[in-house]
Amino acid sequence: MADGQASLVNSGQAPSGFGQELDRITLERARRGDMAAYSAIYERFGTACYNLALRVLGEPAAAEDIVQEVFLKLIGTLRGFRGDAPFGAWLKRMTANATIDALRAQQRFGADDAQTLFDAMPATDADAESRTDTWTLLMRLPPRARAVLILHEVEGYTHKELADLFGQSESYSKSILARALKRLGDSALNAGSREAIHDAP
Amino acid sequence: MHHKDGSGEHALRVDLGRLPVFAPPATLWPRIAAAQALRERQARQRRLAFGGIGGAVAAALFGAAVLLLPQRAPAPQAVADDQRESRTLESQWRQLAGSASPSPGGLSRLRLIDATLQSAYDRGARADELAPLWRQRNEALRGLITQFQASGAHEASAITRI
Repeated sequence: MADGQASLVNSGQAPSGFGQELDRITLERARRGDMAAYSAIYERFGTACYNLALRVLGEPAAAEDIVQEVFLKLIGTLRGFRGDAPFGAWLKRMTANATIDALRAQQRFGADDAQTLFDAMPATDADAESRTDTWTLLMRLPPRARAVLILHEVEGYTHKELADLFGQSESYSKSILARALKRLGDSALNAGSREAIHDAP
Repeated sequence: MHHKDGSGEHALRVDLGRLPVFAPPATLWPRIAAAQALRERQARQRRLAFGGIGGAVAAALFGAAVLLLPQRAPAPQAVADDQRESRTLESQWRQLAGSASPSPGGLSRLRLIDATLQSAYDRGARADELAPLWRQRNEALRGLITQFQASGAHEASAITRI
């Protein structure tokens, strides 16, 4: 990663982490401004936030900034969390919004920085090299297409939610998603990355 | 991979479920905690500064109120009350005086006050200038009434009216 301190912790088989529960006691302590409780929340959800931002933005430093922004905002607004939705879903929405805002704020965005990214990224898993193939292909997509793809395919956003998030129509996000998937599939075939692709059901 | 909204028609799909998961750098939480501590410190300083300014403003307002309170102008209602009293006293005095001649001195004082009052109204004087004039007029009327009562003119006038 950018500062050489991040590491590959597991494969993509694990859930993103936003689906985890947050116990009521920690939530109440956090609402009272207990920083130890926020630290516990970070321990539980920090990785999920970081990976969502990193997958979309493609730059570790930018993803770190998003996590910082989201957690500072969380500390400032947690009193307003009514608990109507699961905490993880609320945090995921905050992370996605901050990430899309960051995308909007960037005039140029390096979509092909994956090689640099992985050069500095210590892999701790023997199988990591084959797994990074999907990452490399993902990073070759334009940032906006990556955002649609990750939010829809990994984080479970509907096209309606994507349309709201991007301020576009549902058909726009459907079109972006279809093109992204096609381009990803074509790239995988061209690169011969059989590990990264599988037969569609 | 779970596909929604009819986007599952591609023959081959990249398995996004196999994306690597990276841990954020160990320095990230300490960085966030430090940023939050800085924010709280700045907020405290703003509150202190605001509290100081607010306190100074409140003290200034209180001081101004204390200084101005004794000199506060009478409300228009006070002038109206003096006017009403004046009409009552004048009516009372006229009843007492009847056809008798009032004391030239007392009457002159009343006419002088009336002229001053008229002049004050003509130039649009405020209530704080008018009120003392009305009070002077009431005093003058009370003086006339007392004078009549003391000289027995009251009795003469009453007998005449009967």
